[in-house]
Amino acid sequence: MYIDQDLCERCMDCIPVCPVGAIGIEETKCARHFSFRVVIDYETCVECGVCRRLKKCPQKAIKQVEDIPYPRILRAAFSDPTFRHASTAVLGRGTEEMKTNDVKNEFTRDNVGFSVEVGRPGVGAYFRDLQKVTMKVVALGGDFASYNPVVALMDKSTGALQEEVLDEKVLSAIAEFVVPRDKALKVLADLVAFINAELESVATISVIARNEVDGGHAFLRKLKVHGKVHGYVPYPNGKVNLGIAALKGGKP
Amino acid sequence: MTHTLNRRGLDNGRPGEEICVLSMIHYQDRNEETAEAMRELARTIIAYGPNNIMGSSVGATPEQIIESAAASGVITAVFTDKDTVGRLVREIKTKDPGISVVLSGLFSDIHDICEYAGLTEHTSNYAVGISGNAALLPDHITLEIATQCGHGLVSRHYIQHVACRIAEGKMTAREGAELLSKPCVCGIVNKKRTEEILLKMAELTSFTEGHEINYAVRQKRKFS
Ligand code: SF4
Ligand code: SF4
Repeated sequence: MYIDQDLCERCMDCIPVCPVGAIGIEETKCARHFSFRVVIDYETCVECGVCRRLKKCPQKAIKQVEDIPYPRILRAAFSDPTFRHASTAVLGRGTEEMKTNDVKNEFTRDNVGFSVEVGRPGVGAYFRDLQKVTMKVVALGGDFASYNPVVALMDKSTGALQEEVLDEKVLSAIAEFVVPRDKALKVLADLVAFINAELESVATISVIARNEVDGGHAFLRKLKVHGKVHGYVPYPNGKVNLGIAALKGGKP
Repeated sequence: MTHTLNRRGLDNGRPGEEICVLSMIHYQDRNEETAEAMRELARTIIAYGPNNIMGSSVGATPEQIIESAAASGVITAVFTDKDTVGRLVREIKTKDPGISVVLSGLFSDIHDICEYAGLTEHTSNYAVGISGNAALLPDHITLEIATQCGHGLVSRHYIQHVACRIAEGKMTAREGAELLSKPCVCGIVNKKRTEEILLKMAELTSFTEGHEINYAVRQKRKFS
């Protein structure tokens, strides 16, 4: 994204809307008085498209280049939910995870799913930060979800990402994986400690578990106790699949 | 909606404040039959009057929302009343659409809704918080609005800018909430809760002699 300086009237209305603070003023040389222009910092911009979509600019001065080159295009693929690009092989930032689990039954009472979203909330991260997490996941024995755009950039046996993408910055990218249920709490403790010690950015961690037969949250109760020792507090809110798709035609 | 579980600020002391509804067709099951079921489901959700819904940020009409749900296989909406969601879920269950339905909100609220509709929770997604370099995060009140957009498109700077405009009397909290709901393409920002949070932020906003916006400074003093 860039600002066409021939059109920009320096009203500054666009500055606050950028989630990563990439739009700012740059002083220009003028002997007599303070003068400036409004610019988008090329390195900070994650190509999320918010500044253009909001149509804040009265001059239509915010523009996108015709073809964002690879690997920069990954910024848009991971940061702009309205953007679709073949470079990641799948659409969007993550998988359907538990949203359709009443159809696909990928998460059972024997396993636990993890999602580690690096850069979230609203901070942004480089792929080199994500790589720290993916390599750690391999070391912890996690089995990556295949329908996730990160997997297309990764060597699944080591967790290493393609060299040329490491210096690209995105709003966020998600490592999604599954571990056996009896190992889940140990994996979570190791992950939290690792991320707190090693990440330049932030990461949001979430955990997927199949409910008990009566709908109970046994795994949440375990998390509450475990979190007290390992420095996290599960939220009182979360997401629940109601199992409605599994009822089709009267099936239990 | 993938990350609605990570919303900050919901509290068991304020039940029913917010319940997000998401429905999705598994990508391998997308066909004309499931698209029709999704159309019907989208119609039902709209009829219950959500606070916000996918497509509203770009001014889509109900018909456009229904068609886009059928084409994409997904619909998201947010409600601010538990009883309404209970009745909605019960109707969906009766219609037996064969499509996954997910609720996001307090687990206690969701449990009550399940009991009312005669369902049991199938699979849950738990948030265990934010790890890493916490110094990069904004204050916790700003986060209560910013985390409402899972894609991270509602800028912390925009939130604070809007709060300051409200404090200056240049816009109402309702107008501010409307503005801040626009970057979220999933239509999942709870405008009613955002309005209340903005009022709280505006109260905490002060102005220095040079009329500098000083929300952040005031926040730091209050929470450090
Ligand atoms: S595209 Fe996104 S990151 Fe880049 S300047 Fe615009 S709002 Fe900021
Ligand atoms: S909104 Fe448009 S005219 Fe105003 S500063 Fe930004 S680019 Fe320039």
